[in-house]
This record gives sequence, C-alpha cells and structure tokens, in this order.
Amino acid sequence: MLRTLKYLRSSCGEFMKAHQTLRRTLQSLLWLPLGITFVEYFYTLKSIRGRSMQPTLNPDSSSWRDVVLFDRFAIRILRKYERGDIVALQSPTDSKLVVKRIVALQGDMVKTLPPYPDVEIRVPQGHAWVEGDEAFHSEDSNTFGPVPLALIESKLSFVVWPLARYGPIRKPSSPNPNDPRDPAWRIKKAAVEREQWRNSRITIAQ
Amino acid sequence: MLNIRLAQVVRDVSRRLRDKPWGNIARSTGLKTLHLINIACAAHLFVEHVGWVAGPSMLPTMSVTGESVLENRMVSPENLQRGDLVTITSPLNPTRIVCKRILGLPGDVICVDPTGTLAPSTEHVLVPKNHIWLSGDNAAFSRDSRTYGPVSMALVRGRLVARVWPPSKFTVFRNNFNFID
Repeated sequence: MLRTLKYLRSSCGEFMKAHQTLRRTLQSLLWLPLGITFVEYFYTLKSIRGRSMQPTLNPDSSSWRDVVLFDRFAIRILRKYERGDIVALQSPTDSKLVVKRIVALQGDMVKTLPPYPDVEIRVPQGHAWVEGDEAFHSEDSNTFGPVPLALIESKLSFVVWPLARYGPIRKPSSPNPNDPRDPAWRIKKAAVEREQWRNSRITIAQ
Repeated sequence: MLNIRLAQVVRDVSRRLRDKPWGNIARSTGLKTLHLINIACAAHLFVEHVGWVAGPSMLPTMSVTGESVLENRMVSPENLQRGDLVTITSPLNPTRIVCKRILGLPGDVICVDPTGTLAPSTEHVLVPKNHIWLSGDNAAFSRDSRTYGPVSMALVRGRLVARVWPPSKFTVFRNNFNFID
C-alpha cells in the first residue's frame, strides 16, 4: 500500500518535471478561488455599452466604449447606497446588467418622468429609484418602477479608459463664471444643471 | 565579570538573529498565509454555490430551525415551474435570504389574497414579464408577494433540491403541483 503510494508520487513528480507547462498551468489554477472571490466581492473591470448614461459615460465625443472599475465591496459588504451614485444593477424586466444612477432611496418622494403612470411616488421600503442620465435613451425606473436594493450589485468608482477622462467619478462642480465659455465650460455647466434638476424632483425622507 | 558575561550573551544572541535568513522566512510565511486565504476562499465559494441553507420558517414543509437543505444555484429562470421551492434575496431587505414557493409565472392572473385579509379577495394581478408570484407555505406567518407584489426573477438565488439534515428526514423536493380541471 505504502509502496504503491510512494511509487505513484514519484512517477507523478517525474511526469510533472517532464511537462513544465502543464505544471505551471496547474499551479496557477490553484489560485483560482482567490481570484474569483476577489472579483465577486471587491473590484471588477467592465466596458459600458449603450447611450443611457450619456454624457457621463460613453459621450458622443468618444470613439471608444468606456472601460470602468466597479466596486462591489461598497455594495455587497458595506451596503452603502447613496443618492447620486452610479451603480450596476440587474434589470428587473430581463435580468440583464444595466448601469444607472440612484436618484432616490426608500421613503423619498419622486416626481416621475413620462412613461410612468403616476405623477409622484414614494419609494417603498428596501427599494431605490434609478434613472439613466440620458432620459430619452434609457429604460429605467420610469418604465419598470422602483427596484429592490438587492438587484444593485456594484458601484462605479473609476473610469479607466479612455485616458482623457481617466480618474474617479466626481460630483459636478460649478465652473468659474469669469472663465472663457468654451465647450469644456459648457459641459461642466450642463452637468451641474442636470444634477440640480434631478435633485429638484425628489423630496428626501427625514 | 558578570557584565562581561552579559555582554557576551547579548552579542551572541544578536549575531544569531542577524544570521537568520529573515527574507526567506518572511517570504514563506507570506506564501503560507496567501495559501490559507486561498483555501478559505475556496471553502466560501463551495458553501455559497453548492452548499447548505439553514431552513427558514416554511411550516409545514420545513421546521423553524435545525434543518439544512441542498440548493441548486445554477438554475436558469426559464426552467422555474409553479410549485418549485426557491430561495430569493428579500426585496425588502437586501441582506436577508428567504425561501418561498412559486405560485405564478409571467402572464398568470393571480388572486392577491383569497382570504381577503391583506387585500380584497376580488383583487387580481397579472404577473409581469420576468416576474414570479411567491407565497410562503405558512400563509398566516409569511411575508410574500401578497405584501410586496410580484418579484423579479433576477432576485432568485437558487432552487431547493433536497433536505439533507437531519438525516432521518431526508427528502428530495419534487414538484407536486397539480392542475385542477
């Protein structure tokens, strides 16, 4: 018994020595659980498709799809849901992953946009109201209603590509009124106005 | 005399410490901890995707505590059937996982509450696309679709396959749904 085991072990070792590539692949496969857990609970890279988050993501001026870093730790472990965060969630109508912005959280009153049947709605317990930045090209809470927080799976934290917009997602800040009013100035101004308009439609619960 | 001896001991110890291959030791302990973390991750993934669920209150199908069931996490939403037992992430609280029975599939018209306690017994609902209607087996003590409405299939975690603990009550959950003509 012991001898067969010893024989098996030595022959296995010889085989592995002879096939170095096989040995290396097996050794790297050994680390797979660590990698999977990291992707599932910490960070993952994804590319964004579609125009629903224009002009924050995939703006017309860019010829590439945006590649962004999603932070799963903040959502799956810390459970931090904040108004204004861009999040990835599973669409309740077809279970596909979509990227939207959290507009309101539970208890808030929201003035809805056209496709929604009611003019104003209170977001129910454990739900959030999500919208795309480009209302016209977005299928969001205005079509499928408030979504359960459990469908939200990660939060967008960093734009990796294109390099022109490389960096963390920042809150829009008002541009200096004395600066020359070039396209960059107007884009900044438009972002601020969009945020103000979004905030004007919600009444935050106390 | 004692001083000299003490100094000698100190010098001796410090030399021994200096001669130890600290770099190698640090590297091997680091690798060992990484391996440990890796094993823990593997165990976690096993428990999450193959493993056990402690039985929530689904009387009389499951008792309140002390039961474990095997769950199939690789279930695709199209294969769900009426009468299946599923675990879902609660739509009211994302940290809670609950177990319910599927009552209605997309397109079904369902009476919200035939007893009329939570809603008038005449109220009917059409289950929308990609949604299911859930109900607990113990209707009196269950918060289910009667309170939060149809639930998106994206919230379904898996289907219960069998009860494995305690061994004396081992059962395979088969679909026992009957149509009444």
